[in-house]
Amino acid sequence: MMTTALHFVILLIAPFLFLGLINRTKALWAGRLGPPLLQTVYDVRKLLRKGEVISKTTSFVFRVGPPVQVAAVIFAALLMPLPGRTALFAFPGDFILFAYTLGLAKFMLVAAAMDTGSSFEGMGASREATFSTIVEPAFFLLLGSLALISGETSFASIFALLNDSAGYSLLVKSLCGIALFIMLLAEGCRVPVDDPNTHLELTMIHEVMILDYSGPDLAFLHYAAGLKMVLIATLAANVLIPLASGTVGGLLLYLFVLALIAVAVGLVEALVARSRMTHVPQFIFLMTALAATAFAVALFFLSGGF
Amino acid sequence: MTALVIGAALFLLGGVTAIGAGSKRAGFVFASGAVLAQFFILPATLQVLLTGSPAALAVNFSFPLGTAYLRLDPLAAFFATLISFGGLLTAVYSLGYMKMYAGSRYSLAAYYFFMGLLIAAMLLVVICQNALLFLICWEIMSLASFFLVSFEHEKEEVRRAGLYYLIAMQVSAAFLLAAIVWTAVLAGSLDFAAFGKVLGQPGAQSIGLFLLFFLGFGTKAGLLPLHTWLPLAHPAAPTGVSAIMSGVMIKTGIYGLLRLLLIGGVPNVLVAYVVFGISLISGIYGVMNAIVQHDLKKLLAYHSIENIGIIGTGVGLGMLGLAYGANAIALCGFLGAILHVFNHFTFKSLLFYGAGVIYTKTHTREIEKLGGLVHALPATTALFLIGSLAISGLPLFSGFISEFAIYTGLVRGLSRGSVILRVALACGLVGLAFIGVQAVLCFTKAFSVCFLGLPRTPRDEPISEAPASMLAPMFTLGIIILGIGLVPLLSLPLLKNVIFQFLPAGTATDWDGLAELFSRLGLAIAMLGGLIVFFLALRWLLLKGKPVTIFKTWDCGYQVASSRMSYTASSFAAPFLQLMAPFIPQVVKVRSPRGFFPRKARYESHAEDFVAFYLLGPLRRFLDWFMGLFTWMQSGQTQQYILYGLTFLFILIIWIIFTP
Repeated sequence: MMTTALHFVILLIAPFLFLGLINRTKALWAGRLGPPLLQTVYDVRKLLRKGEVISKTTSFVFRVGPPVQVAAVIFAALLMPLPGRTALFAFPGDFILFAYTLGLAKFMLVAAAMDTGSSFEGMGASREATFSTIVEPAFFLLLGSLALISGETSFASIFALLNDSAGYSLLVKSLCGIALFIMLLAEGCRVPVDDPNTHLELTMIHEVMILDYSGPDLAFLHYAAGLKMVLIATLAANVLIPLASGTVGGLLLYLFVLALIAVAVGLVEALVARSRMTHVPQFIFLMTALAATAFAVALFFLSGGF
Repeated sequence: MTALVIGAALFLLGGVTAIGAGSKRAGFVFASGAVLAQFFILPATLQVLLTGSPAALAVNFSFPLGTAYLRLDPLAAFFATLISFGGLLTAVYSLGYMKMYAGSRYSLAAYYFFMGLLIAAMLLVVICQNALLFLICWEIMSLASFFLVSFEHEKEEVRRAGLYYLIAMQVSAAFLLAAIVWTAVLAGSLDFAAFGKVLGQPGAQSIGLFLLFFLGFGTKAGLLPLHTWLPLAHPAAPTGVSAIMSGVMIKTGIYGLLRLLLIGGVPNVLVAYVVFGISLISGIYGVMNAIVQHDLKKLLAYHSIENIGIIGTGVGLGMLGLAYGANAIALCGFLGAILHVFNHFTFKSLLFYGAGVIYTKTHTREIEKLGGLVHALPATTALFLIGSLAISGLPLFSGFISEFAIYTGLVRGLSRGSVILRVALACGLVGLAFIGVQAVLCFTKAFSVCFLGLPRTPRDEPISEAPASMLAPMFTLGIIILGIGLVPLLSLPLLKNVIFQFLPAGTATDWDGLAELFSRLGLAIAMLGGLIVFFLALRWLLLKGKPVTIFKTWDCGYQVASSRMSYTASSFAAPFLQLMAPFIPQVVKVRSPRGFFPRKARYESHAEDFVAFYLLGPLRRFLDWFMGLFTWMQSGQTQQYILYGLTFLFILIIWIIFTP
C-alpha cells in the first residue's frame, strides 16, 4: 500500500519533468539552451498565486470545467499501474472507467470552451471532440487485443500476464506501443496534430480552447494536460517494458522509458511540421490500423490460424 | 394483480374525466388520476420485483378470446413500474407545458384522454399472456399514440409525421400479426404458454418465426432499417408525448423481444448474432445521424435509436451468452440491457422535458437560433447538463453504469470462445466505444449551442425560469440519475429477479461476483466525486481575496465581435460530417451571387437519413410508379366500381363452383 501510494506520487510529479524534457529536447535540437527543466513548476506556481479575468459571457460551466478536468485526470492516474505494480484502484474493466473518466474531462473542457461564445474557441472544441471519435475506438480495440492475449480485463493483470505470454505477443506489444505513441501525440495535442507553442492564430486545438482561462484555472489545465500525457506514456511503458518488476530497478527502468518517450515527443516536434487540419484524421487513423493489426495478429496466433 | 388493473383503469379514468373537466382543469384531473394510480401499481410491482414470485389473474372473455391470463412476473413488473412512473411524471409536466395550448384550437381533453388510453394500453401489453389480447392492446397503444403525435393537426408537417407514424406502426403490427397467427396455428392456442412449444423447437421454423417477431418488435423499438418514423414523429408530438414515447413506449418493443426470449429461449446462435449485430449498427447509426441534426427534438429522437441500439446490444450479448452456455456473459448482457432501459427512460425523459422548457420559452426547436439560455434558465441548464452527461455514458451518472455492465460482458467473453464470437465481441467493444465518444460530441454540441455562449438570434422578450410543475419531474429524474451513477449497487436488488428469469439456475455465484464488482466500481466513482469536490473547493480557496475581473471574451484583437460570430452547431459538426460523408448523404442547394452587383445569394444544406435516402426513398418512388400503372382503373364513376364488385363476386362464385 505504501509503495503503491509512493508510485502514485511519482505519477503526480512526473508531468513537470516530462514537459520540461520535451521542451529541452526541442530547444537543444534547434541549437538553443531552452527553458529550465522545471519551468512548468515555476509557471504553475506563478499562476496559482494570481487572480483571474473571466468573460462576462460565461456561466458556471466555465468555472467548473478546470477543477473537473484536473480531478478527472488525477483520478485516472489512480487507476494507472506502474510497470510490475498494481494501481490503487484495480478491478476487472478498470480500463473502461479510465477511458470514460478522460471522456468526462473532455466533455467539460469542450463545453467550457463553448461557454465563452468565441468562434475561435468553438473551432478548437469542435476539433477536439471530432478527433477523439477516432482515437477512442482505436484505444478500446488496442486494449481489447491486450485483453485477448492476456485473458485478463484489468490494467495490472493484463500487463502482468503480457510478460509471460508467448513470442508473438512481442509483435502485438510493439504494434500497441506505436499506436499508444500516436495516441499520446493526438490526445496530448502535440505536433503533428497540434502545435502547443503557438498561442494565437496558428493554434488549432488544445491551446485555443483554453484561451480565456487565467490564474489558478489555467494552472489546473496545464497540469492536467501534462498528467494526461504522462498517463498515456505510462501505458506505453507498461506495454513495452519486458519482464517489468516492482523493484527499485524496475522503477528506474520505467522512469528511463518515460524520459525516452518524452525525448521522442520532443524530437518529433523538432523534426516534423504540424499537419494540415484535414490531414490529421489520416494520421490518427494510423492508430486504428495498428490496433486492428494487433488484434488480428493476436487472434491469429491464439486460435492457431484461421 | 388486481391492483395493477385498477391502476391502469385509473389512468384511463383520469383521461376520460378530463374530457368533461374543461380545458382549465383537465390537467389536474388527469394528474390526480395518475397520482392515485401509483398507489395501486407501485406496491404491486415492487413486491413482485423484490420477491420474484409472480402474480396472476385469469379473465373470462367470451369468444374469441376465451380465458385470458394476465400475469405479473418480474419482467412485466419492471416495465409496469417504468410505464406507471413515466405516466406520472408526464402528467405533472403537462400541467405546465400544455398551458401553451389553453384556449387554442387544439383540444386538451383529447390530449389527456389519449394519454390515459396510451398508458393503460401499455400496462396491459406487458401483463397479458394471450396473443390476441396482446395484439389488441398493442394496436390501441399505437393508435392512441398516433392521435397524440397528430395533436397539432392543423400543421401540415404534423399531419404528415402522424400518417408516417401510423403506417410504420401498422407495418410493425403486420409483422407481429403474421408471426402470431403462424405460431398460434402451429400451437393450436393463443396462450403464450402454448407458444413455447413451437418457438422452443430447434429448426428453421422457429428461427424464421423469431426473426419475424424481431422485425415487428424492432420496428416499434426503432431498430434499423425501420427506424425512420422516429425522427419524424418525435419533433411533431408535444413534448410530454415525445418523452413518454421515447422513454417508455418504444421500450415495449424491447419488452416484446425479452418476452419472446422467455417464451421460446434462443432458438439458434445465428439469431443471437443477428440481434447483436443489428442493434450495434443501429446504435452507431443513430448517434451518427444525431450529430448532424439541428432540430433539438429530432436530435433526441436519433439518440433514442442509439440507446435502443445499446439496449439491443446488451440483449444480443445476453443471447450469445445463453447460446454458448456462458452464464457470466449472459448475466452482464441482460443486466446492462435492463438497467439501460431504465436509465434511458430517466435521462431521455429529462432531456425531452428540457427541450420542452426551451420550446415554451423561445418557441423554437432550431438550435441554431438558441444560445445563452444558461443565464435565464439556470436550473433547466444544470438539469439538462446532467441528462447530457448521463446519455453520453460518463462516470458519476447512471448511463455509465449500464454501459459498464455491457462492456464487462464483452471483455469477459473476449478471452474465450470461437474466433467468430471473439471478433463479434471485439466489434461490440469498438462499436460501443465509438457510440460513447460520438455521444460526447453530439451532446457537447447540443448542450453548448442551446445554453451557452451568446444568443445566436436576438431575443425580444426576457425569459424566466420554467414553472415548478415542469421543473419538479426534471429534478426527480436528475436525482435518480445521480443516485444510480454514484451508488451503482443501489440498482441491483430491484433488477435481480428480472435478470434471473433469463438465466439458467445456478448463476447466484456469478451474481455475487458482479455485485462485488459494482461495489468496487462504486468506491472508485465515489473517489472521483470526492476529487472533483476537492478541486472545486481548492479553486475557491485559491481565488479567495484575489482580484477576479469580469471582462469580455478574448477576441484576438477584433473589436466588433457580435453574437452572430458565436460558433454554430453546423460549424461544430462540420469536421465530423466531413469525416463521415459517405454515410450521411447531404442535400445542398446553392444560388451563387451573379453579375457585378449581386443581389440575392443563398446556401442551404441539410443532412439526410442514409436508409431513407437510399433505401426507402427509391422503394417508395418505385411503388408510386408501379401503382401509377393502375390509375386507369380509378375512374371516379360509381357505376364502374359496382361493376368491379360484381365481376369480383362472379369470379369468386365460379372459383368456388369449380374447385373440388
